[in-house]
Amino acid sequence: MSVASRKGLDNSNPLVYESVSQRELTEAEQNDDVVDKFDGREVFDMIRRINDPEHPLTLEELNVVQIDHCEVDDDKNRVVVYYTPTIPHCSMATLIGLAIRVKLLRSLPERFKVDVRIYEGSHVSEAAVNKQLSDKERVAAALENDHLLNVINQCLTIHKK
Amino acid sequence: MASLDLVQSLHGHDDRAWSVKWNPAGTILASCGSDTKIILWMEEGGKWSAKVTLTNAHQRTVRTVAWSPTGTYLASCSFDKTICIWKRDETGAFDSIATLEGHENEVKCVAWSISGEYLASCSRDKTVWIWTCEYDDEYDCLSVLHSHTQDVKKLCWSPSEDILVSCSYDNTIKLFKDDGDDWTCVETLSGHTSTVWSVGFDHSGNRLVSCSDDQTIKIWQRLGGEGDGNFGAQGWQCVCTLGGFHDRTIFDVDWNRKNGAIASAGADDSIKIFEEDLDVRDSLREPSFRLSFSVPRAHSQDVNAVSWNPVRPNLLASCSDDGSIKIWNYTQEAR
Amino acid sequence: MDGFSGTLRLTDLNDFMAPAQECIKPVTINRIPEKGRSIKITASGDYSEVDAKGQEKKLEKAAITLSDCLACSGCVTSAETVLIQQQSVDELLRVIRENLEVPADQRRIIVASVSLQSVASLARRYRLTMRQCQQKVSGYLRSLGVDRIYDLSAASALALTESQREFVDRARRNDPGSLPMLASACPGWICYAEKTHGSWVLPYINTTKSPQQIQGALIKKYLSRADHQNPGKYYHATLMMCYDKKLEASREDFYDDVLRSREVDCVVTSLEMEQMLEKKGVLLDQVCSSDFDLLPGLSTEFYNSGGGAGGYLENILRHAARELFQYEVGPVEYKTIRNQDFRETTVTINGELKLYFAAAYGFRNIQNIVQKLKRSKCPYGFVEIMACPSACLNGGGQIRAPDAAEAKVWLQDVQELFDSLEKTDAGSNIPWLDGLYRTLRDDPSTEPSKLLHTQYHSLENKGTALNIKW
Repeated sequence: MSVASRKGLDNSNPLVYESVSQRELTEAEQNDDVVDKFDGREVFDMIRRINDPEHPLTLEELNVVQIDHCEVDDDKNRVVVYYTPTIPHCSMATLIGLAIRVKLLRSLPERFKVDVRIYEGSHVSEAAVNKQLSDKERVAAALENDHLLNVINQCLTIHKK
Repeated sequence: MASLDLVQSLHGHDDRAWSVKWNPAGTILASCGSDTKIILWMEEGGKWSAKVTLTNAHQRTVRTVAWSPTGTYLASCSFDKTICIWKRDETGAFDSIATLEGHENEVKCVAWSISGEYLASCSRDKTVWIWTCEYDDEYDCLSVLHSHTQDVKKLCWSPSEDILVSCSYDNTIKLFKDDGDDWTCVETLSGHTSTVWSVGFDHSGNRLVSCSDDQTIKIWQRLGGEGDGNFGAQGWQCVCTLGGFHDRTIFDVDWNRKNGAIASAGADDSIKIFEEDLDVRDSLREPSFRLSFSVPRAHSQDVNAVSWNPVRPNLLASCSDDGSIKIWNYTQEAR
Repeated sequence: MDGFSGTLRLTDLNDFMAPAQECIKPVTINRIPEKGRSIKITASGDYSEVDAKGQEKKLEKAAITLSDCLACSGCVTSAETVLIQQQSVDELLRVIRENLEVPADQRRIIVASVSLQSVASLARRYRLTMRQCQQKVSGYLRSLGVDRIYDLSAASALALTESQREFVDRARRNDPGSLPMLASACPGWICYAEKTHGSWVLPYINTTKSPQQIQGALIKKYLSRADHQNPGKYYHATLMMCYDKKLEASREDFYDDVLRSREVDCVVTSLEMEQMLEKKGVLLDQVCSSDFDLLPGLSTEFYNSGGGAGGYLENILRHAARELFQYEVGPVEYKTIRNQDFRETTVTINGELKLYFAAAYGFRNIQNIVQKLKRSKCPYGFVEIMACPSACLNGGGQIRAPDAAEAKVWLQDVQELFDSLEKTDAGSNIPWLDGLYRTLRDDPSTEPSKLLHTQYHSLENKGTALNIKW
């Protein structure tokens, strides 16, 4: 795993937290003069700044999510996001997938059907993780767990650097 | 031409509605959901409305509700690991009379046996529990079955005998029976390639319908001796697979015990009705089912459950992630 | 995992991750921080430390011990895997082999304690009588290099008499929350109680140790004193009827910090014994016979009354009736409630119900007891709780019938073999026990209560939020 230098942690500037809702407004502004269709870029923008649960780096910085791996079919109301865990044995794989799912759940209109999957071949338990992420009952029950929800929310909090 | 027409849209849940069940008399529709409420809908002057709302029994999502064979009791199960038993009193109000604990995590389904003697429950803890009721509020655990290797999603009792069927995240369907001293798994049905979300018997108890995350519906036929309690040498076999109809997970199926129609509901927001072609060479081993009617946007989000009214067989209830409950009227194709 | 009791398997919620990925336990490695050191990874994957002068020192791999595993409730599955590796027939053979390579005066004394349930299981398998089987097992173990072989009846007798005392004590004091007393000999039940129910149920559990652990104390403390040897010199293996006993032996409570030794070092199951015999092509009935050894002070072998679960219900019932009501109980009669594994018995004197006990085996029956207890509706004074249906004779480590259809008959045979021995009531006219108590009481190194009693700990989930299973 190529971890960017950790110098950011020792930054004497305090971290500033931006609320998620603020961010959504910004997106809407940007899209005002364009037909209100979602595309890969939009979806990527929603998830790129999700934090890794263990390191103070975003999924974009860790290359866990890439713009090319966000597929959107606005007409058919489908979104598929493939993510690449940093190492094939990553034990945080399901947690990261869950964070991506939750972010999209909160950001996309209700009409969208969302699938979050591991990028093919990038994790040893790919099939099992995909199955777990696509089971909405499991996800719903998980999100009723306060501890887990806290961790997810922390991942979804955007840190200004 | 067959048709499925919307009779009424009911709004009462503040969050996703997970399950709907008609009582045995067909007069009350119970629904439950993530808002922890259980709502009982009744008809008055042709209009359905929320007559009773049961709250505060569960701390988390109520996943399934089930009526006892006489309609006197209602069981609800929840992600809070408990099962609540409600009793209907003379005034028509429902009181919580017992709370069953024991499951290690979310209870997914609960169902009464046709004899009323047993209550079955299943959970994400991979087990199926069989309970029996001593007095009104004293429920004893008769058996804890560890057969499944993953979450158990749904349970259904046979309409004619005390045989239980369960389906699971482990892609299998299992049948359970009391062998004298304990309940055991008497058969495992494999064939689905992903989580089996729902399973149900037909009116005879000799056929099963199942639906899965693999986007297919399967029909299973009992080939052993009928009604002798044994499944014979051949047991159960998959005799029909309906694929290509739903293009996302199918969450629920219900086999109408009066007219034989099968309703299915899924993550593609649709409700579909299938009818059997009786004009086939071998209806036992090679039955044929065709799509009778489809409502592509039955709800604005995933449809989680469908339930045929046991007394008014043309009425179908459905519920969705969008929080709404819908009542439909099905007209079969004239034959 | 195979072999562990149903209750133990149920408390695990492993979705799909392998043990290596699961473990979140932080491991402390003793190191004095020094400047100028760096870590280097060699080509073979080992870690070595390079100091300021450039000298390399290979670092030991940080390993999670079984005790670490058990203390953290993160994932039982990993514990089971580690367990199988640390306690197996191979491990026992390795210890024996290494022991023989050491000069005689530095050798350890290898002791094996054999449970009657294992003897019954092996006797059925190899078509022997109990007596014959004991002698064959003893002979075989000696041929492998085991120095002493003991039976567990003395430890059982101690367990029973202590339990009897504790029950009568609780009954007399009648403090709230002390009755019903729940049996403590089954580690499957204990693990389940600690993990799933925690602090509210623990006070009800009998604090007396199980016979296996009492035997451990007898070997390491009592026997060592009689032999004038250092307790650390003994390596104690037991032949038991279930895998849960391995977990029991690994509990922190049964590890002596001062002596740095465990009461029981290795647990081997009846099944593993059979597998070893098969692997070596040995027919048990053709092995040389030898007698069991006797613990110091014991002149003859004896066997405790009561069933395969250890005889707690019957012996406590008799003793309590005698002590509390001066009443002699005849043959104990049971009433079956619901199923064969849930039975009740009563002692009625002059029409008044005086004692109401139950035996509950298997998870479904444990459920009913625990839930009734939770709602304060449990009417019993004592419950013999065991995790396995049909209790210990049907333990997870017992030898199975070759054909599943014959399982019931096989179990009946094992039961008959077990019952064929002549039994006596615990504490009845065994003068040796009095002597033993005196010795244990006079032992300045530990209090007898610690030797014969233990504690239970509610296991809070120490997992971090990152590891929550959903």
